[in-house]
Amino acid sequence: MGKIRRKLLDWKRRLSDRHMYSVVVLLIAIVAGWGIFQYKRAADLRQELDNQYNRAFYEMIGYVQNVEVLLMKSLVSSTPEMTAETLQQAWHQANLAQTNLGQLPITQDVLANTSKFLSQVGDFSLALDRQNINGEVVNEEQYKNLENLHQYAVSLQDGLNNLQASISGGRIRWNELADKGTQLFQKQSENLNVQMFSDIDQSFQEFPTLIYDGPFSDHMTSMEPKGLTGEDISVEDAQKRLTDFFGADRIVSVEHAGDIQADTLPAYNFKIKFKDRPEDEFATADITKKGGHVIWMLYNRDIGQEALDVEKAKKTGLEFLQSKGYTSMKDTYYIKEDSTATINYAYEQDGVVVYPDLIKVKIALDTGEVVGFESKGFIMSHTKREIPAPGITEESARGKIMKNADIGSVGLAIIPTKFGTEIFCYELKGKLGDKDFIVYINAVTGKEEQVLIIINTPEGILTM
Amino acid sequence: MSEMKSRKVIILLSVYALFFSLLIPGIFNFAFAQSQRASDEQLIARAINGEARGESYEGQVAVGAVILNRVESPDFPNTVAGVIYQPGAFTAVSDGQINVPIDPNSTVVKAARDALNGWDPTGGSLFYWNPATATSKWIWSRQIIKAIGKHNFGK
Repeated sequence: MGKIRRKLLDWKRRLSDRHMYSVVVLLIAIVAGWGIFQYKRAADLRQELDNQYNRAFYEMIGYVQNVEVLLMKSLVSSTPEMTAETLQQAWHQANLAQTNLGQLPITQDVLANTSKFLSQVGDFSLALDRQNINGEVVNEEQYKNLENLHQYAVSLQDGLNNLQASISGGRIRWNELADKGTQLFQKQSENLNVQMFSDIDQSFQEFPTLIYDGPFSDHMTSMEPKGLTGEDISVEDAQKRLTDFFGADRIVSVEHAGDIQADTLPAYNFKIKFKDRPEDEFATADITKKGGHVIWMLYNRDIGQEALDVEKAKKTGLEFLQSKGYTSMKDTYYIKEDSTATINYAYEQDGVVVYPDLIKVKIALDTGEVVGFESKGFIMSHTKREIPAPGITEESARGKIMKNADIGSVGLAIIPTKFGTEIFCYELKGKLGDKDFIVYINAVTGKEEQVLIIINTPEGILTM
Repeated sequence: MSEMKSRKVIILLSVYALFFSLLIPGIFNFAFAQSQRASDEQLIARAINGEARGESYEGQVAVGAVILNRVESPDFPNTVAGVIYQPGAFTAVSDGQINVPIDPNSTVVKAARDALNGWDPTGGSLFYWNPATATSKWIWSRQIIKAIGKHNFGK
């Protein structure tokens, strides 16, 4: 005890020497000041974040209210024109509501059903809108679906209004929003009639609407794979098929790396090592259990000096496909990146380009080796189709294009829709001013189905 | 004697200075904290870099594919930015790793391009998690479609 006291006194004496005492006090004051500054800054940042969450929340409430009102209006309106206009606005508002929903600090699993609801309202409204534009009124079943959607919108709106009112002080703090918001959306989730979603999903199948995300390659929803022919094969058979796929003389090993339990396409996963290549360069591939179709393959290797151009690559890809049994394929789009060319090939039947039956081949431009392969589209959609004779003439189709456009070529094609159906069209490629376009005119009804603008870049042909 | 004293003062002051610098949060991240405008490809590549840097090429394309599958799905936001920046969706976003700049020649950029061009090693998965560290009961209730590297992928 005495020792400590003596030590403290000793320290005190040394500190009072040469103003050390005041220096230490000053330093402590600086540290304290710094601490306060940091705390305040953190509080400011949290406030800013709060404000963002608040904004998203309030905006979402506003948009959900608009959706409810617009759905009500569409139930009341009787002319196709008015119904179409109302539904278009409903789609727009549902989109905006969904955007803001995704910005809330609430976990995904709780929000999933509400997000899905807003998506369905959007898609459904858009589909019915198109129908009404063509003069066709909403039928009884669709009306019932609209009513169900409206009912749910009302209950969602009530829940949101209650949440808003119940938060004390009118200003929602972020943790309150997260907690009470989670409770609300969880309850809404339970109230939701899951049956309603699958009913609406079903009715979507009949809509010939076209919404694209890329050049005809993202059209698959959960459907039966039409091109999945053949019997179930064993792991050894799959190994043999992959060896043949690449060429037995190049391969060191084909290792079974796992299984895929996808409900649509159960498959085996393999790792393929090549002769004379470094250990860390290998290819991976998934091959279906039924029929041994290669779903996809990727081989990420270093690519050397470019020796081929894209035209040669297209031919190489075509030869490759033919050697694997994919006959009658035609190249449609390509993109050149990182000294590789990724080329889309579509199946051609009797001169009609069948876009849903799609295979992508990635060619390395140093040796012409195939370093990528993707055939999910082909596996899902490929069948021999009954293609009718066109209902309108080519001349009539040409007549549907704007007069000041130059039409380069006209052909026939089958294009996919978002909802799993296909449309038989005239494909008219042309130029308006300096922009290239492709227009699809329904070959049976003459309706303009889709307009694509081509963006030609040095890297390839992209469509928008 | 005064020589010794002033040296002690200097040592003491430098110790305090070091102490301060450790208190400043994020000083070592400052160079990376500037967020940049990124196209979808850049954004996906950075997300892959943050989430699956050490994974195989297949694992990296898989993360990109999950992001794009979410954009397609009605359960998630409709844009790449919306999906990536959804609060709580990706740890690489929450901890700022998404802002780490990447080499334009790196594999994550190639993986992002392959994912954007349609390659999906995950069979349509919307979720992935590390089975060794994931504790959320909800994520374990997802149907597992495939395991790639140290992640399970599922719906």
